[in-house]
Amino acid sequence: MLALEQPYVPSRAGLLDGTPVAALAMLAAAWGLALLALPAAAARGVGLAAAHGALLGAALAWTAPDPRRERWAPLEAALLLGAATLCARLLPGGAVAYLGVPAWLLRRRADWRAGGTEHARSALAGALFGLLLGAHLLVNASLTLGLRVRPAPIADLLGWLAYDLGANVLAAEACFRGGLFTRALQRWPFPAAAALSTAASVARYLVDPLLPHATGILAGATFYLALLGVGNCWLLVRHGSLAGPIAGGLLFFAAYRLLAR
Amino acid sequence: MTVALGLVLGAITLAIAVSDAGAGSLWRHAYHVPVVVAALRWGGGAVLAALAAVLLYTPFVLPALERSGPSPSVLEGLVTLALLLGVGVSSGALAAGVHRQRVRYETLVAVQRALDGEAALDVTLVRLRTSLEARLAGTIGLAVRDGERVALAGGAVLTSGSPAARVLSAGGPLFVPDLGGGMRPRRCFVAPLVGRGGTTGALALERRGDIGGEERRALLALARHLGLALENARLAARQRRFAEELAEKVTAATRHVVEMDRMKSDFVAIASHELRTPLTALQGFSELLATRRFAPAELARVGAIMNAETERLGRIVADFLDLARLERGLAPPLRRGPVDAGAVVGDAVEVLRRARTTHRLELDCDEALPKVDADPDALDRIVKNLVSNAVKYSPAGSRVRVRARLQAMPPAVEIIVEDEGPGIAAADLARVFEPYYRTAAGARVATGSGLGLAVVKSLVDAHGGSIRAENVAPHGTRMTLILPALP
Repeated sequence: MLALEQPYVPSRAGLLDGTPVAALAMLAAAWGLALLALPAAAARGVGLAAAHGALLGAALAWTAPDPRRERWAPLEAALLLGAATLCARLLPGGAVAYLGVPAWLLRRRADWRAGGTEHARSALAGALFGLLLGAHLLVNASLTLGLRVRPAPIADLLGWLAYDLGANVLAAEACFRGGLFTRALQRWPFPAAAALSTAASVARYLVDPLLPHATGILAGATFYLALLGVGNCWLLVRHGSLAGPIAGGLLFFAAYRLLAR
Repeated sequence: MTVALGLVLGAITLAIAVSDAGAGSLWRHAYHVPVVVAALRWGGGAVLAALAAVLLYTPFVLPALERSGPSPSVLEGLVTLALLLGVGVSSGALAAGVHRQRVRYETLVAVQRALDGEAALDVTLVRLRTSLEARLAGTIGLAVRDGERVALAGGAVLTSGSPAARVLSAGGPLFVPDLGGGMRPRRCFVAPLVGRGGTTGALALERRGDIGGEERRALLALARHLGLALENARLAARQRRFAEELAEKVTAATRHVVEMDRMKSDFVAIASHELRTPLTALQGFSELLATRRFAPAELARVGAIMNAETERLGRIVADFLDLARLERGLAPPLRRGPVDAGAVVGDAVEVLRRARTTHRLELDCDEALPKVDADPDALDRIVKNLVSNAVKYSPAGSRVRVRARLQAMPPAVEIIVEDEGPGIAAADLARVFEPYYRTAAGARVATGSGLGLAVVKSLVDAHGGSIRAENVAPHGTRMTLILPALP
């Protein structure tokens, strides 16, 4: 038993210690420059790569045994995401390049690899949770806002799925659940850690320029993203694996992308 | 149960959908039933049930709100949503509180059961740990001071600087939010076990999950109870052990007194016999001298016999006097000075040789033995007693070896008397120096008062030396006497 046999040294590290500030600042500067110098579409691509790269890089630094070794991870992730975005824009089926990001991430974090029964259970529970939440979103949005499910070509669906898997959901879950929530949970009780992680992830989506800014949609997004955040925190604590939160997020966002606007 | 509650929630939603009343349907109140049932069944699980009910009911309320604004039926729906969440949270909290209280009482009873009986502390701690782990949903460790050592349950060692060791030394409780890192933090709370004399141990709970403030307070209370209960159990066990030891000591003392009484009776009989023998001889010869005339040679022989008997009588009386001093805790009177131990041993052996013994008396003394600080008469008595004992209890014609040699560290003179007799039974070896004690085999072979070796021991002790008895292979007894040498 660790309480008897392992020496304990109280940690004085802060919640955000080890954040790769220099790399994040460079990404912010790059985005700013892109907004000033590049056309809107290209600047959006740079912003997307920078934002997701920042989240992934921060997650890597926060969860690394030695955060200094990951101080340039945000730049690496952003470059990879930029390349994937370029492929997705320029090549048919190029969205598959987003799958390189999880491969890169798992190479860096052996303990996040989805293997073993606990990861499978987590993925199954997360998929069920995302499916229920997504289904509820579809029903509620169609009843409340009159939005309908739009039929989409399979290639588009797979492209969205690849983007969510390689950038959107992966970056958010790795940063807000794998990084921030885990760190907060090492200091505070579950409700406080889950509240912080959920608030941060909801804020990330609310400031996303791609989200329509109608009040009803913002209220709905807050409601569902809060549920998704808390549920994913619970899944992470229950199974100790990110597979569940990622599966839940993927299915929820798949449902969200089916809504016609 | 989960499936049943899910089905009930689904059925209520269906009933609302079919009723055409939408958000204002009376069926909406039925959502409270599964929420309350979930609270009674799982406590905090009621929140999940309430959340599920809210999710199912929202599609009726929000579209109505979007369509017609805050109409009375929509407001009723919104109130119902708030009520469902409120009832879920409050009933869940209440039920969870009741459950926790029940667990606490059960835990206290389980602790009392684990402490019941007369098991050793380590066994009791293992019992306690098993019992607590079944109720506290985590890994339990116990460290309890037991004199100089710390008895443990739940770990092989108590590492210095570990949470439990810190609590044992500092005395206050310690909460560790994460012991091991990883995505599922391993929380730990260590509460001190407090007895009347301060911190006597530590109770540690480790869990992959929260240990909330209320639970920590409950653990502190449990630890206080446990500390006192353990101390009481230990005091009771000590009292029982003390009573048992006392009873054993009283029994042993009684046995000893009875035996001493028997030995004294034997001694009186033997002493009477021992005194009567020389007295009878003296009486007989003195009568002869008074009534008859003897030739000078015969007269000398009778005189020598009477002298020997008088000496024998003197020795017996001296032994009695020494014994009397011994029993009063007084050392024998000695006139100590530098004595050549080799010469004393040689003289004593020579005197005994001249007594026409059939035994072969062999003397082996180291050259230039150092002098010892001793009373020469007492040393002579000691050596003669040991050698005559060896002669008395070994077969006629056998060898008796007497050796005197130098022992280097610490400097001492070692005098060894070895015979070829039957030896002494192992059980008797430790007792041969007790007053009145005679071995059964020895009593059969020769008469004696049982005082000789006791007097020898008291004399050796008074000289600051030591004496021990041991058996030698293949048979025989060896008496080893050690006296400190003068520098």
